[in-house]
Amino acid sequence: MEKPTSPAESSADTDGLETLGRSSGPASLILSSLADGAKHGYALTKDIESFAGVRLAPGTLYEALSRLEAHGLIEAPESSDRRRPYQLTAAGAAALATYLRAQRQIADVGLNRLASGWAMS
Amino acid sequence: MTADTGQIRASRLLLWYPRGWRARYGDEFAELLAAEFAERPRYFRRSLDIAASGLRARLAAAGLNEHPLDRGAAARASLGVLAWCGAAFLLFGAAMWSQLAIGLQWHVEDHSGLNIAMALMSAGLLAFGVVAVAASCGLIRATIGAVSRGEARPLARPALTALTGLVILFVGGRHFANAWPGTGGHLLWPIGHVPAWAAAFGWATTMWITSYVAHPGLLAAFPATQLAWMALSPAAIGLLVTGVAGLASRIRHSAFAMRYAKWLFKTAVGGMILFLAGSLRWMASAGAGSLGGYHVGAIDFAGLTVLALALAVASHVARTARLTGPAER
Repeated sequence: MEKPTSPAESSADTDGLETLGRSSGPASLILSSLADGAKHGYALTKDIESFAGVRLAPGTLYEALSRLEAHGLIEAPESSDRRRPYQLTAAGAAALATYLRAQRQIADVGLNRLASGWAMS
Repeated sequence: MTADTGQIRASRLLLWYPRGWRARYGDEFAELLAAEFAERPRYFRRSLDIAASGLRARLAAAGLNEHPLDRGAAARASLGVLAWCGAAFLLFGAAMWSQLAIGLQWHVEDHSGLNIAMALMSAGLLAFGVVAVAASCGLIRATIGAVSRGEARPLARPALTALTGLVILFVGGRHFANAWPGTGGHLLWPIGHVPAWAAAFGWATTMWITSYVAHPGLLAAFPATQLAWMALSPAAIGLLVTGVAGLASRIRHSAFAMRYAKWLFKTAVGGMILFLAGSLRWMASAGAGSLGGYHVGAIDFAGLTVLALALAVASHVARTARLTGPAER
């Protein structure tokens, strides 16, 4: 897939996804889904359902998509298809990486504490 | 479910969203819904989700919510909402203030609580009036600038609407102000700082904000011309505010204009708070019935609720709107 190289103006790429407010949860799922290539709305729904076990309702999905697009984290290239595909921008990839690193740190701490305190790994 | 039925359902659900949103996302959203309908024909939570998301998009488009529109559209929408909030506050404030002025004209009493209340309300309304005049000057200047840039066409309709409302309100207000019940009242009213013409005009233009609407029998005894004016004046106010809000939301504002708007808003909030403090003081003072026929009634509590709501909504909009930066990209 052709990756965009020009970073879009965005505060979310440096602050993670918190600036997206109520859409930050669905946004992380959408960005993760788009990390392996462009997808349209329905394909996003199915992909997210398969890897996260969460089915985003249409309203929630498009609310997050419109915010992500406004923040320059995703873009919709011109398409003749009515089902417009979306793809990650460089800023979106950076924001997703920041977010996932923070999540991984939290997960690591939690798992380590569970392993030492509860003998769970 | 047939394809046609699915399209009709999708079209209906899309109506929850504002026009701008539908223009951008409508087609692809309808495609997604068609796939969703095929997979899960009946799913109530989906409709609820779309309704909630659509309403949030509408609030956003109206400048009442943080939203992903471009900064120019957001700032213009916010200015429109601020215009409506300001108008609501000015109207209900003027109605309350002018009624109290009448009451004080006829029931002169040495009651410091009421005098303080009236002084606070007058100061608040004066500050608010100055802001309204300053905002109007700014809007007129911006309109002239837009016309000189050849952008008059989209502004013609709101300008004409505002002008029509203003003319009706001015002519009718001046005419009916002659029947102001305060005329002939006590000349040595303790404060004496309220110009009678202002109180009379305020009373005439807000005559329709009255508890008489809850008493049709009493209302029917009013002269026919007065009843007609009570129906026409809110329509004229509606025209005026719609026109002003339309102008504010269609003009491309410079960064300086947005800073000016923010400064005006801060001053207006000061006036609103003063006025609210005064009206609360009045309600506390008049609770004992010291103003005779002009005691605090349900209409005043309703007015106070509108004032508080207008202040809350305006503050919320000013907090979420980006009024500091350039309005246009």
